[in-house]
Amino acid sequence: MVFLFVAVPLVVAGVLPLLGKLSKRVLPDILSNLTFLFLLVYAATAGRQIIAGGPVSQQILWFGEPVQILLGLDGLALFMLMAIALVSLCAGIFSIDYMEHYGAKANYYALFLIMVAGMNGLVLAKDLFQVYLFLEVAAVASYALVAYGLGYEELEAAFKYLLLSVVASAFVLIGVTVLFGLTGSLGFEAVGRGLQELPAGPMAALCAALFVAGFGLKAALIPFHAWLPDAHPSAPAPISAMLSGLLIKVSGIYALTRIFFSVFGLTSLLSNLLMGLGVISAVVAALLALGQKDIKRMLAYSSISQVGYIVLGIGLGTPLGILGGLFHLFNHALAKGLLFLTSGSVQMATGTRNLDEMGGLAKRMPWTAATNLVGSLSIAGVPPLGGFWSKLVIIMALVQAGRWPYAVIAVLASVLTLWYYLLIQRKAFFGKIEERWKDIREAPFWMTAATVILALLCIGVGIFFAAVLKSWVQPAADVLAQGVTAVIPRGR
Amino acid sequence: MSVQILLLIGLVLFSVAAVLLKDLIKAAICLAAASLVLGILFFRMGAPYAGAFEISVVAGLITVLFMLTIALTKTGGDVAESKLARVAFPLFFILFLAVDVIVTKNLVQKIVALPAAPEAGAFGEVLWKQRTLDLVGQVCIIFAGVLAVLALFRKRSKDNDD
Repeated sequence: MVFLFVAVPLVVAGVLPLLGKLSKRVLPDILSNLTFLFLLVYAATAGRQIIAGGPVSQQILWFGEPVQILLGLDGLALFMLMAIALVSLCAGIFSIDYMEHYGAKANYYALFLIMVAGMNGLVLAKDLFQVYLFLEVAAVASYALVAYGLGYEELEAAFKYLLLSVVASAFVLIGVTVLFGLTGSLGFEAVGRGLQELPAGPMAALCAALFVAGFGLKAALIPFHAWLPDAHPSAPAPISAMLSGLLIKVSGIYALTRIFFSVFGLTSLLSNLLMGLGVISAVVAALLALGQKDIKRMLAYSSISQVGYIVLGIGLGTPLGILGGLFHLFNHALAKGLLFLTSGSVQMATGTRNLDEMGGLAKRMPWTAATNLVGSLSIAGVPPLGGFWSKLVIIMALVQAGRWPYAVIAVLASVLTLWYYLLIQRKAFFGKIEERWKDIREAPFWMTAATVILALLCIGVGIFFAAVLKSWVQPAADVLAQGVTAVIPRGR
Repeated sequence: MSVQILLLIGLVLFSVAAVLLKDLIKAAICLAAASLVLGILFFRMGAPYAGAFEISVVAGLITVLFMLTIALTKTGGDVAESKLARVAFPLFFILFLAVDVIVTKNLVQKIVALPAAPEAGAFGEVLWKQRTLDLVGQVCIIFAGVLAVLALFRKRSKDNDD
């Protein structure tokens, strides 16, 4: 039942506010984390079997009547579902202790679950309008979650995020409308076929431009990034982890890739545009991150930079490039989730996000410091962690395709990344401990547990990268690569 | 055809007025008028369901919600708008119109017109049976909105209790 990926979190989200009246803390904690666990186990066990015979579309009986709920599960969708389930489970475990002082936990988890349901729906969508619809589901929940602290800064950030995100959704919706007007259908395959038959060059180009702008805003690629450095740091730490680790990738990169690879086909112009956006994001955001004093803001800029890497790999369009881009997406989701969670632990212990005020925290918070170091090194691309292999694959793909300048810039941006992550280590965790941090304590059990799980995953993916690549990433990359060969003749 | 064009002009004028007017009540009324015109356009172009929804929901329900909100909020919290907006908006609007005219003129003839499908009768079938997932998605969005309101106003109600 593919529909369970959307239905289960929704139903639980519907029940939670009622259960929250009975038990304010324990029941919401248990129920929502069990839901995340179920999604993870279901994706890992049943997902593989479902798609063993190729992509699946499903029709469902609703009160005895057959209704058309078409969801498509293929290698790429399953890969994204796994990533979503993994990071949301860890963020959910982290929330058990972290969200205590925010209050209204049942409500928080309900919004969290709706966001997850929206992302799952988007990943499984088979037609353009559903992409737009589930984009909005995840977005509406995320606005409220960014503002969850209700402070001035949070509300301002959420409002800015809301306005720019609405513009993005409007671009996407206009694009979908025009495509529907052109081809008379909404399904990916049908629209793709329709576009090939119609003499609609300029119109298709207009739609492509609208989608690049819309999904570019959602993914916060560089000219469209203004909202992200405010929104992501202002959210509660587990939500920052979800937004930076998953939401920008699902509603930005995944949607963009899916539509461009299976509807328009990746033309060389489009490929160059995406690679250009990617490389600018990777370099400029890395430079901007260097100057930040707020630890979460630095992480947010780092997200833009890493999204640049992913788009660079996928935009290249060769099988190896797509493989590297997707693998980096996965590694970045794990590592950036981990880093935002540890920054939440630090903020909870010290009450500040300013790097200049910290120092020597490793002595008092050894687990947080160690896990943060693992995440930093993984994103910076230090072997043998996951991030190293994915960056290596992207750079190899660039070299293989003869794109030397891009490869050189990618390596240099990686050095910048290492630089600012070492800054975090030096300023926050190493050195002499300041007098006023003498009494701080390690984060509570569940928060530490969540970060340790993610850190172990970062290490595990790095050590067993060949197995992970072969069993999870390759089937996903194959789906996209087939899309390229299937549709590209028109573009050449 | 000329009625159509008059209606379209009315739609644009009312929409611009809704943006530019400073009095919120008047702006809300202009928005309702714009949506009423849009509803009539839908009817005239053979989309009765879209017209009915447009008029009942946007012109009716949403206007009532706006009016209620405006009536319930206190005056005195006015935020001064920057002067720039009053200059920038007309400029942007004219620019948009110019681009719109050029793009549409060049592109309209190139689109192959679809045969108009009779909407009536099949509407319920389409909505409930073929686009069921869209309904699920819409329910999700409304649900998320309700939860968002509950979450964002939770502290205020607690403060009132104290």
